Amino acid sequence: MTDLSSSGTGRAGGTAHSNGRGLTGLLLVSAPVALLGWLIIYPIFNAIARTLFAPTQTGTAFSLDTYGRFFSDGYALANLWLTLWVTAVCAALLLAICLPLALYLRFAKSRVAGVVQGLALFPMFVPSVILAYALIRTIGPNGGVDLVLNALGLPKINSPYLTPWGPIIGLVWDNIPLTTLMLVAGLGAVSDNAVEAARDAGARPIALLRHIILPQIGNAMLVVLSFTVLSIFSAFTLPYVLGPASPEMMGPFMQRTFSQVMDPRMAVTQAVITFAICAVFGAFYVRSIAKNREARR
Amino acid sequence: MTAIDPSTLSAEVPVHRTKRPDWLGLALALALGIVVVIPLLVVAIWAFAEVWRYPSLLPQEFGFRFWQATLARPDVWAAMSLSLRLSVTVTLLSALICLPAAYAFARMDFPGRNLLFLSFLASHAFPKFGLLVAIAGIFLNLGLISTFWGVVLIQLVGTLMMMIWIPVAAFQNVDRAMEEAARDAGAGPIRVFWSVSLPQAAPTIFAAVLLSFVGTFYETEGAWLIGAPEIRTMPVLMITYINNQIVVQYGAVLSVLLWVPSFIALMFTRRLVGSGSFAKGFGV
Amino acid sequence: MAQLTLKNLGKSFDATDVIRDLSLDVADGELVCLLGPSGSGKSTVLRMVGGFETPNRGAILIDGEDVTRVPPEKRPTGMVFQSHALWSHMSVAGNVAFGLKLRGLPKTQIREKVGEALALVGLEGYGERRVWQLSGGQQQRVAIARALVLEPKILLLDEPFASLDQHLRERLREELRDIQRRLGITTLFVTHGQDEALALADRIVVLRGGEIEQVASPDRMYRAPQTRFVAGFIGSMNFLPCDMRGGVSDHPLFAVRATVPDGPVELAIRPEALTLLPARGTGARVHRVTDYGTHLLVDVDLPDGGRLKAMCPPSARYEPGQEVALEAGHVALFRGDAKLAEVTVERRVAVHV
Repeated sequence: MTDLSSSGTGRAGGTAHSNGRGLTGLLLVSAPVALLGWLIIYPIFNAIARTLFAPTQTGTAFSLDTYGRFFSDGYALANLWLTLWVTAVCAALLLAICLPLALYLRFAKSRVAGVVQGLALFPMFVPSVILAYALIRTIGPNGGVDLVLNALGLPKINSPYLTPWGPIIGLVWDNIPLTTLMLVAGLGAVSDNAVEAARDAGARPIALLRHIILPQIGNAMLVVLSFTVLSIFSAFTLPYVLGPASPEMMGPFMQRTFSQVMDPRMAVTQAVITFAICAVFGAFYVRSIAKNREARR
Repeated sequence: MTAIDPSTLSAEVPVHRTKRPDWLGLALALALGIVVVIPLLVVAIWAFAEVWRYPSLLPQEFGFRFWQATLARPDVWAAMSLSLRLSVTVTLLSALICLPAAYAFARMDFPGRNLLFLSFLASHAFPKFGLLVAIAGIFLNLGLISTFWGVVLIQLVGTLMMMIWIPVAAFQNVDRAMEEAARDAGAGPIRVFWSVSLPQAAPTIFAAVLLSFVGTFYETEGAWLIGAPEIRTMPVLMITYINNQIVVQYGAVLSVLLWVPSFIALMFTRRLVGSGSFAKGFGV
Repeated sequence: MAQLTLKNLGKSFDATDVIRDLSLDVADGELVCLLGPSGSGKSTVLRMVGGFETPNRGAILIDGEDVTRVPPEKRPTGMVFQSHALWSHMSVAGNVAFGLKLRGLPKTQIREKVGEALALVGLEGYGERRVWQLSGGQQQRVAIARALVLEPKILLLDEPFASLDQHLRERLREELRDIQRRLGITTLFVTHGQDEALALADRIVVLRGGEIEQVASPDRMYRAPQTRFVAGFIGSMNFLPCDMRGGVSDHPLFAVRATVPDGPVELAIRPEALTLLPARGTGARVHRVTDYGTHLLVDVDLPDGGRLKAMCPPSARYEPGQEVALEAGHVALFRGDAKLAEVTVERRVAVHV
């Protein structure tokens, strides 16, 4: 779909007078490319440079002081561990929820499937602030769930609000649509005929899943996983509103360091540390995009 | 073969009902319904509750008192108008710079095209909030922190990816022969773009523009980090209500107000979002 | 009116030659079919004439005027695409009127011309329909009307009926032929279906690997193919490898006399040029009989292990396993790709059809 050479027979534009056309093309893409360079690529290198070279009286010198401070600070490390733990739990929960959902959406042919798809997509259109507010009112202390339990004569729940489970529930809720969509797209690689042929050969649903479906969507699952990790690792709004104050997740921690502690250099150091941790997933993500586009060529 | 009189057979031929209720689907729909709808329903009830004391299952009194109170607050109106101005500015700018670029990526050949396009898709490969902090570090030196245009820039970057690859896919899906037929009929390249390529790609591009608009309207992190304390958009105001406001209903009323764009976006973009091509843009 | 000349055309994509060196003259009012297997470059030739590809070498002349570097919107050509390429956001009339509007014609005149063009393809009163409300055949008719309404000097058709079913294809083919005759418009038609080319063309150009294999009328193309490729590509043909020795072929069943230097040859015989007779001791046995209604096609196993097809009248009766004798009425001899000779044999047995 998004591969550039899908157009027709893959021949370069027929009437193109290649030189003039090439310049026009470059000119047309120059504005967004410049923005991309200035506000995504440059800040990343700038951040790394800024945190590695500290200003001194004689100019700038190589220094790892902020990194030293980060890794010797028990509070900062606790924040990092909390973030890693929340990310892992969210990714596991998302796969557990979205894989069955995606399998259903891929193979269901009934009209109910449309309703399920609509419901699964809906969270994409609910901003995280409203979600945070709604979750406070629902599973917070004396929230909707407590009201129902109380009316049934049952004890109140142990509210996840302001514990790590608060952001976990919120982040899972928020990420269901995109994760499901990506898995459904991945399942598109499994043809109906392949499944029918396997059933014809006597495969039961479990065998079908293990031997036919999962092997074909392995790469898609890894992409989904990387994407989920990248988006959850630096989530801000939900951890900020729903999460614990101490230790806190990296998003709110960076924000507080930047705006309240007024230590931009430390905040940027924390950002670079998140880049480094996500680099493995990011690299995998980019590699698989590039590979997909190559394959479709 | 002899013709068979159906009436002689109908008694013996077993008839099967091939449509069975989709129990699995109904169960999933119910589970999702509870998880997705209940939190929003609770908020909706709060928005119309005048008195709701624990542990009553439903509010003691319903009414519109807090709607009036919320809508009478000047900070709500200021935030609303600011958010709208921001979203319109960002979406227009984004369309202005991205649509021609998308056309170029889809139809023209120029050096570095694949690499540049890939770099747009790859901009997802960095944790977003960390990136925002890095940008904030630069904006601090440029004096863009806490300004309208600072927030515009940060949100513009957020729309770039979606406004590039969805239109690229839309333009690529336009049958090349349609454009050639227009050339054949006597239209120059620019006329072909206006009369054929753009109208053909328009529904998908419209969905992308709407998604960017709604996405910008709801964007919280950038506005909060770059805009604070001067620029207070709707979502930022909402956060302060959650943190500091004792009157629950203000937040509830605002939430219900903010659903409206969600629903509109859902209506108009579901076909695009539900299609496999949307997810493919994220690298699957 | 209009005459098309292609002079030494050459085109390469990514350093691969798609068209090597192609020259062709199309006379005024003539319908020429470009026929060839996929990858033979036939569509590329058409697209170069339409202006959608620029040739790397050579020139394209319309009425003696060089249009090689003229962009498609300024060429006096009208193209019908395989995918019909109608603009789905416009009505039927809107599609036909688009080019006229670009030329700035007054509204009444546009309406008149659109009506005429739609009437020409048998779609009066369909102007207000949406494109997707039409059937496949109707869509392709609109595409033809859209191309014709601009009164092009050259009409180009790129496998226009390929996506239609057999019956519809035959009907539209006849209608197109009538329209083309009536307007006397010079036409270049690309197809990979030999029956389409044989039915439509004044002249057929068979392309292979970017080069012209043979140019001839349908009649000559079928009955007197000049190369082994054309012989095998158009219609069905039996090829029997053997050796020529002293002016006679050494094939056990077909001893063909021809003044040809000694060496290996292939005997090319059409199924309808073969006559079957019940016989004994020939070693050739019927393998299978297929009834096509109008004729029978009999597969015969030869003693040397080869197999050939013979066409028989539907009244003939043959059983699998039955031994038969074969007689060839017309044989062409090929060595490599070149034709060496053509031999018409006096029939010794009258054939009753």
